[in-house]
Amino acid sequence: MRSRFDEQLDLLNKEMITMGALCENAIAMSAKAVAEGDLALTESIPALAEQIGQKEREIESLCLKLLLQQQPVAKDLRIISSALKMVTDMERIGHQSADIAEIVRMANLKVGGDTEEVRNMALAVIKMVSESIDAFVKKDDAMAQAVIAYDDVVDDCFDRVKKLLIGRFSQPGIDGEQTIDLLMVAKYFERIGDHAVNIAKWVVFSITGSKG
Amino acid sequence: MTKRIFRSICFVAIAVFLASLILIMGVLYSYFSGVQQRQLQMQLELAAQGVTNEETAYFSDLTVRDYRITWIDTDGTVLYDSDALSSDMENHLEREEIKEALATGYGESKRYSATLMDRSLYAAQRLEDGTVLRLSIAQSSILTLVLGMAQPISIVIVLAVVLSVVLAVRLSKSIVKPLNEIDLDHPLSNEGYDELAPFLRRIDSQQKQLRRQKTRLEQKQAELDTIIGSMSEGMVLLNEHGKIVSINPAAMALLGVEKSPVGADMLTVSRNLSLNDILRQTLQGQSVVETVSLETGQYQISASPIMSEGKVAGAALCFFDVTEKEKAEQMRREFTSNVSHELKTPLHSISGYAELLQNNMVKQGDIVPFAGKIYREAQRMTSLVEDILSLSHLDEGAEDMEWIEVDLYELAAKAIAGLEAEAKAAEVKMSLHGEYCSLHGVPQLLHSILYNLCDNAIKYNKNGGEVTVSVERQDADAVLTVSDTGIGIPAQEQARIFERFYRVDKSRSKEVGGTGLGLSIVKHAVLIHHGAIEVDSAVGEGTTITVRLPI
Repeated sequence: MRSRFDEQLDLLNKEMITMGALCENAIAMSAKAVAEGDLALTESIPALAEQIGQKEREIESLCLKLLLQQQPVAKDLRIISSALKMVTDMERIGHQSADIAEIVRMANLKVGGDTEEVRNMALAVIKMVSESIDAFVKKDDAMAQAVIAYDDVVDDCFDRVKKLLIGRFSQPGIDGEQTIDLLMVAKYFERIGDHAVNIAKWVVFSITGSKG
Repeated sequence: MTKRIFRSICFVAIAVFLASLILIMGVLYSYFSGVQQRQLQMQLELAAQGVTNEETAYFSDLTVRDYRITWIDTDGTVLYDSDALSSDMENHLEREEIKEALATGYGESKRYSATLMDRSLYAAQRLEDGTVLRLSIAQSSILTLVLGMAQPISIVIVLAVVLSVVLAVRLSKSIVKPLNEIDLDHPLSNEGYDELAPFLRRIDSQQKQLRRQKTRLEQKQAELDTIIGSMSEGMVLLNEHGKIVSINPAAMALLGVEKSPVGADMLTVSRNLSLNDILRQTLQGQSVVETVSLETGQYQISASPIMSEGKVAGAALCFFDVTEKEKAEQMRREFTSNVSHELKTPLHSISGYAELLQNNMVKQGDIVPFAGKIYREAQRMTSLVEDILSLSHLDEGAEDMEWIEVDLYELAAKAIAGLEAEAKAAEVKMSLHGEYCSLHGVPQLLHSILYNLCDNAIKYNKNGGEVTVSVERQDADAVLTVSDTGIGIPAQEQARIFERFYRVDKSRSKEVGGTGLGLSIVKHAVLIHHGAIEVDSAVGEGTTITVRLPI
């Protein structure tokens, strides 16, 4: 009985990592699309987001099955319930990556000096997502805490991008739509950073049992 | 061992003891019974005499201690009994000894009491008047005797047991001692029981065999470990659940893990989706070969399932580093497309101008400038083809070139002289410093180094700029420096300027001419001379290129 439970927990772990990897891919691709204006890349992101959504449903049903059939307690219960919450954040990451791709495609964002800050911000967010999933894989409390702390860096990045874009409005003959689109892209990245923080918090919860 | 010896000893001791007890008891008991019987008979005779002579008076003054005396009438009624009242007693006619005495004149019998604890011996004699006188004596039965001896017997048995325990322990110890002392690591060096010799010889030979096999196995394992450990290809073995069974250092390095992840899931080591896709297919029983880009580079992964009894028992992954290959492949593709592009551009101009001329659409006065343009483009193509040829010649290693002693300073002077016209046109001042420095080299290649470097220094200079060439000797090297006061090269581009057809500023290339192959040729030529080339440049200030050639 227990060994079957262990097997299912193992499967849950694997599925979570796979979903994490899909999210990493999605955000890396959307960041690349922003940085290089690669329209071909934007085509494949919605499909990836769809795949992430599919994974979310799979993991949810697996978690519910585990909760009902095995009635886990203590650490097992924490792992399963935090997995249930984490997939929601991961799904949002996938979805928002697709939204970024959508903006890049519709607005045909031009690559230029202004996107440099956004690119840095994207790199910081990718690092956060990657490390939050790493923390989950390695069950590393300290790493998860570092991700939570790193959110300030991303927030600073967002502030800088915002100031930069405000500065752009004061110049004559600017493309207002482009500027606002860039701001939205930056906001989406900032949101993804928040989701990474949520994932890291759930990782901390599943390890220590305390909700920081 | 001790137990068995004890049991045997104990059994023997008790058996011997019991046998002698039975024997002695049997013999003695029958002997004493005989004696008693004879005494009884004698007493009976005496008593019979007494009774015959004195009649009842005999009984009145008879004091009987050991014997019981009974006088029985012919009809069996008891006339007198020394133990009980005669009137209480039953008719004794049916008693065996009485019957016998009545018949023969004398009879005897033995009877056990109800408890078997006592035995009575009876002897009866018929008197002259026909009455029977019976004498009986009580005798202890064997059982009583034995029971009487129970204490000494049990003492003896306990003693026997104790003694056999002691003996058994000592005996088994002395038997086992040589066995325990056998040194099984060196079976042949033992002295002890001769009976064990074949056994020990067998152990010895098996030990030798084991040692040989172990050494062979260890050697094989070490060989395998060394091969897998030192090969530059990454290698990972997985079980059927995708957990890592074995991983070599190369694979750990390329997957970017520090701790040995043996036992962990492959997914926790690398979240690369295409790698895990390959793994999934492999664990379903397919062999996959695919190129995957990991963080550390491009790898061709060859994954094959390990089959056992028709089922997938695991997977073996081999990582081949194809980063360089992919890069080379890409460079080759770029080169081909660059060459075609570079060759096509002048051809387009030539064919365009030529078409205009052919269709007589050119005014008389324009013919000469048009022809000039065609000539210049043709010249450009020629120099391009020449450059490509000399590059491919250098690629081949330039083996057929002649190595002689040449003087670098003289060659530099010649190259500067050859470029004087260009320098004048670009308003650039050229100067040569240094000393004569002869070295062993290929004059054509050294000339193309100098020519290309100086040509670039003029081309990418400012009006009124300067080009300084110096040749000097440093230790075992001839050092050639070409510095200009030109536009300079941005730091991030410096690594790429030696690539074929690479231009820092693509928009200016048409204007300044050149093929984009010059520095590539220089680099190759320097490499063929086993030299080194360095770039030092600042944007807007100028560029210094230093070439060191061993003498």
